[in-house]
Amino acid sequence: MRDKSAPRGPRTTAILVAMVVGVVAIILCSCIALFLHRYRVAMVQSARTSTAQAVAQVSNTVGSYLEDIHQAMELVVASMWEEDDQDMLLRAFLTFRPDAVAVTSYSESGLLLDCWSPGREPREDILVNLSFDLVTAQATGGPYLTAPHVESIFEGYYPWVVTVTAPLEPGGEAAWVSLDLSFAGISGYINNVGIGQRGYCFLMDQSGAIVYHPQQRLLYAGLKSEDTASLATLADGTYDDDTVIYSLSTVEGSGWRVVGVSYVDELVNQNVREMIRLSGVMALVILAAALFTSWLLSHLLGRPLRGLASAMERFESDADHFTYQPVGGTREVRELSDSFGHMVVRIQQLMSTVRQEEVNLRKTELKALQAQINPHFLYNTLDSIAWMCERGRNTDAVNMVHALARLFRISISRGNELIPIAKELEHAESYLQIQKYRYKNQFTYTFEVDPACLEYYCNKITLQPIIENAINHGLDLMVDEGQITVQVCQEGEDILFRVRDNGVGMSREQVDAILHHSPGDRTGIGIKNVDDRLKIYFGKEYGLRITSELDVGTCVEIRMPKIGEGDYETK
Amino acid sequence: MRRNRLLALALGLVLTLTCLSACGTEQEAGQRHRVALVAKSTQTEFWLSVFAGAQAAAAEYNMELTTMGPETEEDYETQNRMIAEVVESGAEALVFSAIDFTRNAAAVDAAGQAGVKVVSIDSGVDSDQVGTYIGTDNYAAGRMAAQAALEGVEGELVVGLVNYDESTANGQERERGVRDALAESGRARVAASVTTLVEAERARADTADLLRNNPEINVVIAFNEPTSVGAAQAVAGLRLADAVFLVGFDSNVATIDGLQEGYVDALIVQNPYAMGYLGVESAYRLLSGQGGALETTVDTSTQIVNRGNLFSLDSQKALFAFE
Repeated sequence: MRDKSAPRGPRTTAILVAMVVGVVAIILCSCIALFLHRYRVAMVQSARTSTAQAVAQVSNTVGSYLEDIHQAMELVVASMWEEDDQDMLLRAFLTFRPDAVAVTSYSESGLLLDCWSPGREPREDILVNLSFDLVTAQATGGPYLTAPHVESIFEGYYPWVVTVTAPLEPGGEAAWVSLDLSFAGISGYINNVGIGQRGYCFLMDQSGAIVYHPQQRLLYAGLKSEDTASLATLADGTYDDDTVIYSLSTVEGSGWRVVGVSYVDELVNQNVREMIRLSGVMALVILAAALFTSWLLSHLLGRPLRGLASAMERFESDADHFTYQPVGGTREVRELSDSFGHMVVRIQQLMSTVRQEEVNLRKTELKALQAQINPHFLYNTLDSIAWMCERGRNTDAVNMVHALARLFRISISRGNELIPIAKELEHAESYLQIQKYRYKNQFTYTFEVDPACLEYYCNKITLQPIIENAINHGLDLMVDEGQITVQVCQEGEDILFRVRDNGVGMSREQVDAILHHSPGDRTGIGIKNVDDRLKIYFGKEYGLRITSELDVGTCVEIRMPKIGEGDYETK
Repeated sequence: MRRNRLLALALGLVLTLTCLSACGTEQEAGQRHRVALVAKSTQTEFWLSVFAGAQAAAAEYNMELTTMGPETEEDYETQNRMIAEVVESGAEALVFSAIDFTRNAAAVDAAGQAGVKVVSIDSGVDSDQVGTYIGTDNYAAGRMAAQAALEGVEGELVVGLVNYDESTANGQERERGVRDALAESGRARVAASVTTLVEAERARADTADLLRNNPEINVVIAFNEPTSVGAAQAVAGLRLADAVFLVGFDSNVATIDGLQEGYVDALIVQNPYAMGYLGVESAYRLLSGQGGALETTVDTSTQIVNRGNLFSLDSQKALFAFE
């Protein structure tokens, strides 16, 4: 038997699940980490690219806007030369350029000469004219653009404008002309540039002064600020720190620069966070799937194996009554199960064969024993008969010879094992008769028989060994007259024989010895053989039971089932 | 065995896809917060600028903003009614400038008790339901006005004050600042003061009366945009541009013209755009549970503009709205 307390190894299920889940988890973790890293890098790169693209577009648009302004300025300059049609041309120009607020001309010394503006006249006494600065105009020489400022020459009208100032060919009265433009032309475009949800573009000049910003009012109200001073020091290109991506591009042919601002958080981190969440969910799902798969696998392998193991255990503990239920499962397991099933059947066949052989052997032995006649018994009986003849007790001698003849006839019984109980009783009585003669009437005997029992069958020579034992061990040593009683009665489905004597009795050890040891030196059928025979024929519950008390007597009870004549054949 | 593996794989794939699709539909648009701005007026440049700032913040924080105000800047009852309507209509936050420090208090209390977050701008109200006050430090602004006058006029200052509703907190605070600063200077006295309506025409008439009745006055201080416009018109009308040093409040085309013409001498310019912007932004913070980080008082910037710095870049930014 297997030692149940010995520590068992871990189960297949546990190993398989742990291995699969562990491997899957490691692979998943590294894949996700790698993926997220690459994803973030790619996202940052794409955010940079999209910011740079937006800035490049704005830069182009602003470039063409500036070109447009310069063309407009050329028109204004050209108009200035048309002395006669000057007013008409400029008025027409202002009508077609709604973003043009005013055209002003200045003398060599910077005096305001003339002003064209749709529906407005400049105030007589201008405090400050932000549209023209003589110093800058002289220093620049060519056309130039100013930073945004308020139009300051009109009464009650103060729009924000940028001014283009250009010198005029010498010769005329006017030396400079300025064109004030509102932001309408550029604001609509720049305001609509979006990079992500919150990203935007703004315009600044080389020194970092903001030209146009979509949130100019916030900047002016001091609610927002742009770090233009440090941005101005950067060359064109794209820069990113942890939170913001800046992209700068100089508008071709001007001092303006477009700055694109976008937020890493919204363009990258949000996506990355979303991706982390997704990856997490995916990892969980995959892990769950792995867990489920490995559980399923181990279940497919482990459970049938356990079933097989328990079947083997049951087989070990009770091989006789084991019926094998095949275990289902994978092909390997089924093969194993089938082999085990074959093995079980084979072993059970072998076991019944062995048992049958043993029974046969015992029967043969018994037959051999039955065939033997205790020679001493025969010699003594013959001596007794001879002695009787010598004394002229012919009647007794005749009885003796008859009894002996009966004894042998019944012993042989044409080789049948089972004989009617009547015959068996006859056999016992013959034996008792002979012994009584031999022992010179030292004992008496009686039969108490239920007549209903007589028709049943029993094993031959069942009572004789018991009676022999009673005479030899119980009565032989007695001084008083012995008494042997043979009872036959029914008890339910059984027949009971009782052989009672009033002899010296036996100790418990003697009883055990009689029941469990074959008679050594003696020939004939011992009590043990009777018991064995009954058990072999009828089962463990049948056989002998001996109760004995020293100096009181012994009672041997023989139990066997009722066997009719029909049943006899089947036995 | 291989089939089982495939089966499990397919199962996992299906699960993943289900999850992914679930994630996709999960993002829902959050309900926009509703915020109402009850102003003192809807006409003056000051308030238009406040509204512009408020709109900018509402757009930035994705809130639904309604702006309103009474016809006149004395009509606190209409303001109270508007507050009640706003609460009734289910607004979550109220940005409010009180005409009357005490008589607007009950309405604000009621709004606060109804669960509406209250942000006070420009002019305060006597209610503990106010989450934060955003506006000018009016006492300091008053002192600045007095300072401008003291710097602009040599010798003795005979001051006439043109103020509005005595129960409005900001006007009274400014006047207190002016009076304190003048008293400290030792060379100024307040000759007369007039309480007028917040309306240019009435202010002009009342200022003209004040000047006619007190010809010794050489400094006039007006305390908000319409009264400044009225005072400027009175000074111009009486041709007292040289004789009277006029200090006004806030930016208006008329007073800016006056600065250039000479009948206005200094303007105390507040930052109405910031008030509107920060007011709505604070409302957003209160609604989104960041109210703990708010300061009880936020001082928006104030600056003195006179003829000398009228067209400096800072003054341009403060005075002229960038459309």
